[in-house]
This record gives sequence, C-alpha cells and structure tokens, in this order.
Amino acid sequence: MRKYFFVFSIYWQEGLSKRASFLMERFRALVVLISFYYFWSALLKHRASFVGYDRSQMITYVLGMNILRSLVFATRTEEIASEINHGRLSGYLLKPVNFMLYTLFRDLSEKSINLVSSIIEVMGLIYIFDVHISWPHAPQTWFFFAIACLGATWLYFILSFMTACWGFWTSESWGPRFLLELFLEFTAGAFFPLDVLPKLAQQIIATFPSPYLVFFPLQIFLGKIDSHQIMNGFLIQLFWILAISGMARAVWSKGMENYSSAGS
Amino acid sequence: MIDVSHLSKTFRVAQKEPGLAGAIKGPFTRQYRDVHAVRDISFSIKEGELVGFLGPNGAGKTTTLKMLSGLLHPTSGDATVLGHVPWKRERDFQKQFTMVMGQRTQLWWDLPAWDSFLLNKEIYEIPKAQFEETVEELSRLLEIQDLLDVPVKKLSLGQRMKAELACSLLHRPRVLLLDEPTIGLDVVMQQIVRQFIIEYNRRYRATILLTSHNMEDIAELCPRVILINHGQILFDGSLDSFRSHYQTKTLTEAMREAFVTPTKVGDQSCTGSRLSPG
Repeated sequence: MRKYFFVFSIYWQEGLSKRASFLMERFRALVVLISFYYFWSALLKHRASFVGYDRSQMITYVLGMNILRSLVFATRTEEIASEINHGRLSGYLLKPVNFMLYTLFRDLSEKSINLVSSIIEVMGLIYIFDVHISWPHAPQTWFFFAIACLGATWLYFILSFMTACWGFWTSESWGPRFLLELFLEFTAGAFFPLDVLPKLAQQIIATFPSPYLVFFPLQIFLGKIDSHQIMNGFLIQLFWILAISGMARAVWSKGMENYSSAGS
Repeated sequence: MIDVSHLSKTFRVAQKEPGLAGAIKGPFTRQYRDVHAVRDISFSIKEGELVGFLGPNGAGKTTTLKMLSGLLHPTSGDATVLGHVPWKRERDFQKQFTMVMGQRTQLWWDLPAWDSFLLNKEIYEIPKAQFEETVEELSRLLEIQDLLDVPVKKLSLGQRMKAELACSLLHRPRVLLLDEPTIGLDVVMQQIVRQFIIEYNRRYRATILLTSHNMEDIAELCPRVILINHGQILFDGSLDSFRSHYQTKTLTEAMREAFVTPTKVGDQSCTGSRLSPG
C-alpha cells in the first residue's frame, strides 16, 4: 500500500505546484457558497421554516452540502477517458500497480485538498456572518454521518470510474459524463434538499443511487431521520456500492479487451 | 528470454466515407474493416541480445512491442517474455521489464524528475540502498546529476529523454523494449543515448529489442536485426549478413531495397512467413 500513499502525496505536490489554478478553483467554490447562503437566507428571512427546515437547519444543509461536494464530487476520474483515448493509460498498465487503486488514491488526494479548503471557507463564513449551525449532539450521529460520508465517497468514485471507462469505446465520452454529473448532482441534493421537490419526483429519485451521495448523510447530520431509517439507508447505500462496483469491474475488464493503446 | 510463436494482431477499424454526406451516414451505417497489423510472426531472442526491430511506418513494430509488453492481447499466437505470458500482466513480470516509448513520458511535467524517480521507487518496491546506488550510476552515465531537481517542463527534449531513460531503468529491468529511443534528439544526444544503451546491455546483460528509423542507431547498437513490413517478418539475421546480401553501400539503401522488393530476400530462403537472409 506504500506505493498508493506515495501516489496520494505526489498528487498533493502537483496540486500545490499549480497555485493559480488552485486559487481560481477555490474562488469559484467560494462564490457558489456565498450565493447559496444569500439565496436561502433571503428565502427564510420572513418565514419560520421552509419544507420542514428552519433557518438554522437550512443554512446547515447549505454549508454541509458545500463540504460534501468537496469530499464526494471532487474527482480526477474524468482524466481516465482521455488517458484511454490518447494511450496514456499504457504508462500505468506497464507498471506493477492496480490502476483502480491508483486512481482512487489520486482522487483521495484531490478530495483532501478540496475538503481542507472548503472546511476553511465554511468556517470563515460561519465566523464572518455569525451563522447559527444545527450541530448534532449525540456522538453516534457523528459516527453514522462519517460512515455515510465514506460510503458516499466510495459510491461516487466507482460511478465516475465506470463512466470514465466509456472512453474504451468512444472518444466522445465528455458529453455523457457531463450529463451524468449534472443529473447526479441534481438528484443527490447537491443544489438544494430533495424535500423541495414534489413527492412523486422524490419517490422516483429515491430509486437512484444519487440521494445517498449528499442528501442521506446530511439528513443524518440534521437528525431528520430516525435510527431505523438510517439503517435502512445504509443497506441501500451498500447495495448500490456492491452493484456498481461489480458493474465497474466488468466494464473495466471488457474495456481492457478493447484497449488498443492508440496514440502511444 | 523472448519467444514469439505465430503471433497475429488484427484491429477492427471503423470506416467513414469522405465528405459531409459520409459524416451524416456514418452513425447509421457504420462499416468496419479488418487491419492486420501483425501476421503470424515468430522469433526468439536470447538473454543479453541487442536486436533491432526495423520497418517502415505502420509495419507492425510498435504493435508487436505492445503485445510483448502486455498492453495488447494478440488475436492469435503465443509469446513469452522472461517465461511469462505478457498480456497476463503478472507483477513479477512487470518488475523485470521496461518499455520506453520515445514520444511518451512518464515524468511528472510540473515536478522535478526526482519526484518521478521516488514514485517509481515505491511502485517497483526498490530497496533504498539499491535505489540510491542506481540513481547515482544512471545519472552519472547519462550526465543528468544537475537536472534532477529542475521541474521537467523546464528541461530540453534531450534532457527529458535522458531523465526518462533513467526513470525507466531504476528497477534494473532484464528486458528493455525501446520504441524509437533517439527520436527528435540532436546528434550529440543520440550518441550519448546509444552509448548508454550499450553500457546498460553490457553491465546488466539485459535483453534489448529496439525500434528505430535512425540507421545509425541500428549500425552502432544491433548485431542482429529483424525486418518487418505489412505485419510480416522479411528478414531475421545478423546485420552483417543483411548488408552483404544486398551489397549496397549503406544500411539505408539496403533497407530501401528490402522494403521495395521484399521478395528478393524471400526468394533466397523462406520458412513460413519468416524469411532468412540465405
């Protein structure tokens, strides 16, 4: 495993060597964060609650959503399709490394850089705007929240890894990926809590893996679901992880048979 | 060390009619064509041999190297390298060979070459003492001691190629597959790289199969050459016998002769698809 920790470290070094890109990206994230904050603050200014969320809960959701976006959705798997199309995948295949683990640690590096930055940004916003947060009191809530976040991170990684494998069959993988990302973020509750949507839409979305990426962990954090619903949610999250892991492996194996190492 | 038996590789390539009409029809009536990149080739290379693998563009050289490195599955036929079937990509095999592609780099663009070296140290699980000794030796032979802490993007093409070679050899591979290792380099740098390949081959008794369009590479490095064209081997023998067969002044002329009139060699002696110089 030492080699993969080094992969984690070298991507950190690379990330820090690109200071301009890093600062631009963080500026973008900060603008999104402040926009969401002002939007929900304005909406709840003259109301006690909205779709079951009081002001403090809604702001907690928005800030938690920002942190989870950095953890769950930060990825470099989009590079895989290009690596396949341009033959750069060969560089990894020649070496004694497991490519999926390599990309996992590459992603973890990206996620950790984003996570640390977004926590600092959120803390700054809480301090500057004197925001009241609905912190969980029970230690087990923190524990369940952490487990749900780990599950969400793994689930998104394998989903995006599998999507990147589209590159084995076409050089036009950018379009499907863009659509999937948009769909996943919308149905994950990464723009607003899913309770905002009509009941029928919520029922349909509940059959997808996406609510288990952001909405489910934040429901635990806010104490909006009981222990029975939490366990039920964990089981469904685990089902999606196992099912999509199996699919990702199969797609990867099939793709490798198709790999022509073009361009190298 | 390397045994290839009746190896073939066929690619299925999508066809498109020229022009806008072809582009519109393409997604609905896509047609495919089989491209036989490698056809039933066989050869063996012993430990410590340095062999030139020659042919015009599209002859099947790189496809063969990709199969021998495990990147591609063959359509048919067998091959073993160091006793392993390459496309099974076993860890034990991968730790003992390297493939250097002249137009590709594994070095991290924004970081100094040292960081790429350290990454390979971990990936190949090279013991610290061996790593330090190898880096010292390779950087001295390639004269890159002062370049290792400079970001790769600041290096010239020649300096990058030398750093790339060093990075690929840190684990002291026993088999080297070199795909145009001197491409794009000036004559001085080409000479340094050639000297280095000879030295590495001598010092570690490494088996080296290299492709090159540079006849000086072949003349200086390879006692044996294998000629391939249209996916078939035209010649497999010593460089001297190849030269004497064509009775041309230069190796380039002999190569041209071989590729323009391949049957000339074949007329002498033919065994299946593999032709000998006679």
